[in-house]
Amino acid sequence: MKMADLIDANPNLLLMLQHFNIDFRVSDMTVWQLCSRYGISENLLVSIANLYNGFDTKGHQPFTRKDLLQVISFLKNSHDYYRNDKYPQISNYIRELQENHPDREMKLLEKFFNEYFAEVLEHLDYEDSIAFPYFITLLDEGKAVEQGGRYSSKEYGEHHTDIELKLQDLKNLLLKYVNIEGDLDLRRKLLFALYELEFDLYLHSLIEENILIPSGVRIEKEQNV
Amino acid sequence: MYKPPLHIAIMEPSKIIFEGLQTIICHSPLDCRVSRVERLEELTEMMGHSPVAILIANPMQFVNLEKEVRKLRKVYPTLSIAGIDFGIIHRQSMLTDISFTLYDTPEHIVHSLMKLQEKSQQSEQEKVEEENLSPREIEVLTCLVNGMLNKEIADLLNISVHTVVRHRKNITLKTGIRSQSGLTIYAISKKIVSIEDIEI
Repeated sequence: MKMADLIDANPNLLLMLQHFNIDFRVSDMTVWQLCSRYGISENLLVSIANLYNGFDTKGHQPFTRKDLLQVISFLKNSHDYYRNDKYPQISNYIRELQENHPDREMKLLEKFFNEYFAEVLEHLDYEDSIAFPYFITLLDEGKAVEQGGRYSSKEYGEHHTDIELKLQDLKNLLLKYVNIEGDLDLRRKLLFALYELEFDLYLHSLIEENILIPSGVRIEKEQNV
Repeated sequence: MYKPPLHIAIMEPSKIIFEGLQTIICHSPLDCRVSRVERLEELTEMMGHSPVAILIANPMQFVNLEKEVRKLRKVYPTLSIAGIDFGIIHRQSMLTDISFTLYDTPEHIVHSLMKLQEKSQQSEQEKVEEENLSPREIEVLTCLVNGMLNKEIADLLNISVHTVVRHRKNITLKTGIRSQSGLTIYAISKKIVSIEDIEI
């Protein structure tokens, strides 16, 4: 299967390529050729592409340590996408909307978003500075044992915050409740950006839940952490 | 516009049957993802983080677990169950919504699943449509927006904390808004509280 055809069928895969640091000019390369050029196992890329296309990862080969390190780098890259691209974009739209409609209701909505954004940043920082380094140490054979005890994959799973719930609140407020007259262009752009973010956050947590956490738990068991 | 795909779980120990069903479903027009579960507990756990809309199950898996299945359906009213009929069941089991046999055509199986999906979407819509809050819920919401704690609300309205929690659950269910700051904006948009009362 050629990568370009897959992108044609589901353009969201562009985001996946970006998170893998794969260039969009995929020429006529097949998935297999693309994987070998970028040093990614086909098993991993196909599993994640399947998640993007709505299939489960069950029944796949177990992921190797190298795969899992690449998963972590994938998740880190998606953090950069949230931090530097998607959230600032949404934040700009909301600020613009607030300037066009300077009433107190919009001001509250902006405040809601800013508080939410701060929470998101905190969660991303937590994953970057505590969760991911833990997994990297765990994957570095032999080192993890003395590090263990204080932290575990299970705890990481429990630390999932309500990022997706608040995003849903924001969408519902805009679609159902907040009174704004006109400005449809700006509001559409804002809503589309929220849906794009929602989609990638959903994939992000699927990858954590279906790939990273189960593999982490498996390795912990092997090492008896 | 993004809507999460329909989540279908298959609980069937035979790999041949599982993969056959998965192939039929994935080649159908249903926008869905398919998971495999081995035991009922696994399904219960899955409901917590990625809710299943339709369970396709070998009814043998329910033997001696009837109580658990009923409980699961009570907790997750939007879960539909399709049973695989191996010809040993003589009447429609009370635990399943529909059933099909392994000799049915793929079209027939997909058609029954689509009908089930419509049913579960309808019940979800009905839930959303009842957005109007009751007078009591409006009182609780007003207190919440003013930053009162559950205990304070209970004392003021002369009800138990347990009842306050139930009202809060219903408010969230009806409005689709979960966070306190989101509810504040809801209350203002709906003119339940005056915007001048809120500190920005």
